[in-house]
Amino acid sequence: MRIGRVRLTWTHLAALLIAAFVAAPLYWMAASSLKGPEEIGANPPDLWPPNATFENYRQAFVDNNFGTYLVNSVLVSVVATTLVLSLSAFAGYALARLPLRGKAPIMVALLMISLFPTIALAAPLFLLMRDIGWLNSYQGLILVYTALNVPFAVWILRNFFLGIPKEMEEVAWVDGASPVRTVLSVILPQARPGMFTAAIFTFTACWTEFLIALTLNTADRFRTMPVGLALFGSQFTVPYGTIFAAATVSVLPIALLVLVFRRAVVSGLTAGAVKG
Amino acid sequence: MSDTPPEGTPSAAAGPPGEDDGHTLAYGRSRHHPPPRGGPAEVGQPAEAAGQPPGGPGGRSRLRPPQRSVLERRFARLGWAFALPGLFVVLAVTLFPIVFSVAMSLSDVDVSAGGFSLSGFTTGHYGLLLGSERWRHALVFTVLYTIGTVVAELILGTLIALVLERLGGVGRSWMMALLLLPWAMITVVSAQLWAYMYNGVYGILTAASESVTGEPVQFLGTRFPAIISMAVADVWKTTPFVAIIVLAGLMMLPTDVTEAARVDGAGAWTAFWRVRLPLLRPALTIAVLFRILQAFGIFDLPFVLTGGGPGDATESLALLGWHVMFTNLDFGPGAAVAASTAALVLVGCLLFLRAFRSQVGEEEAGT
Repeated sequence: MRIGRVRLTWTHLAALLIAAFVAAPLYWMAASSLKGPEEIGANPPDLWPPNATFENYRQAFVDNNFGTYLVNSVLVSVVATTLVLSLSAFAGYALARLPLRGKAPIMVALLMISLFPTIALAAPLFLLMRDIGWLNSYQGLILVYTALNVPFAVWILRNFFLGIPKEMEEVAWVDGASPVRTVLSVILPQARPGMFTAAIFTFTACWTEFLIALTLNTADRFRTMPVGLALFGSQFTVPYGTIFAAATVSVLPIALLVLVFRRAVVSGLTAGAVKG
Repeated sequence: MSDTPPEGTPSAAAGPPGEDDGHTLAYGRSRHHPPPRGGPAEVGQPAEAAGQPPGGPGGRSRLRPPQRSVLERRFARLGWAFALPGLFVVLAVTLFPIVFSVAMSLSDVDVSAGGFSLSGFTTGHYGLLLGSERWRHALVFTVLYTIGTVVAELILGTLIALVLERLGGVGRSWMMALLLLPWAMITVVSAQLWAYMYNGVYGILTAASESVTGEPVQFLGTRFPAIISMAVADVWKTTPFVAIIVLAGLMMLPTDVTEAARVDGAGAWTAFWRVRLPLLRPALTIAVLFRILQAFGIFDLPFVLTGGGPGDATESLALLGWHVMFTNLDFGPGAAVAASTAALVLVGCLLFLRAFRSQVGEEEAGT
């Protein structure tokens, strides 16, 4: 009994240590976003903001363009996620259930594409978008994000579709439901957890993507949050207070999303990673 | 590519038409196959249950209907109609640019205000790379950095997963939620955050190092500290991903295996090292594959944290390629950097999938 208790305490201690290491930088970001300019540059730094102020938030969203970046990020991520889900639901269904030739090569190719370093795509996409006039636009970035995230979403959704008993859709076919209708009203409701997972992964990937956004959308009006955060400030001064105010705001929605749907996220990580 | 399906891919799916992976809808086929279905390992087809490579034994055709029924062809057409929009977008926006990238790396590229043109075939860009000190440095840095961070993440991630497994209950659930935060964070944000903490004048870590050693450490000022500092920032952000995958793998292990080891007199350490770690191999392999590929293409972190410096100490292949293409506007050599990076990733990917498949093959043969 005593041995059990001692072991338990050590486990708790280790867990606390891990939690501290993970949380400390996050705390430091939030705390710094509430500090004034002198406290931000103070040495030694104050561990707790002595005169907490929201001045940095005003600076970021009123005096600077972080509001625009935020709207751009939301717009691009939401539209791309919607497109990815609609395309991948049907593709995933076909690859799970319908008698296509060459399913295995297609699935492996998709997995590889979903892992490909985007630097290989940057230059050709830049030249392509320049030719069709889609540099500094929403549709260009949305198109690229859709294509980059369809492969992994297809993987996740196909794995979910395979777990659904096929009797129900066979009944639907026999009853004369059209193929599209069968997918929409029989398959998708049963695959809702899979859709959630695919949606969160796609949204997170779009929300955090940097290289392509930096390459395609350089104009201030079309920058997304990561690009805005990376390019803010001059060569000599980096206004960290403003950056952390904007950064904290950019972390909040995704943090909420991930915390609320953490079961879906974990199942996606394991479906994507453990099952293949 | 077709001969290396990872786990979860129907191994028979690349075979001749009319094949059945146990999941495909039954329409138009039941008249050829009186229903032997009932499980993925179908009674009449032991060859497939053992996971034989496609195009294998000649006895296969015996089991196949000589031609597809009308209904089945209709279903196949329907399948393509469902799959093509998605596949087309992927093809157009990823495969085409990859091919174009390779073409660009092998030709003289002329970019002007009005457009760009490729002319002539040349391997000069690759020759330029091989002769370039900067490219060789980026290659060595990227490879070593990838190995170093992935090994560190794997060890730390496994330790964290073991702690969380013991923790159990509500504590584990909250810890997992906390671990997901760095994973979901914008990399640029974490890079700015670490840049601030490493700042030579007012960074909290600089101040902490001063109180410990009496001398402030310039984390990003010199070569090796900069590389280590960047690796620490990277490990902070990505270890949670590894930990969660390993934890999921741990939780899927049957408990009786560990208990059997205990009964046989193995200590906790031996039980982990000899019994559970080997069983975790599939989960670890895929976590490592994902991480290697991500680390190899690393771009955001050095772009913001160090700018590739000091000097070119932390310049990764992706960062070098981007600078050559978009700062110097040398699209040909830049494309050569990008294409060679992609080729290295592809080779690594194929090797890994092959290793993984042989592993899965062993396991399937054992069951």
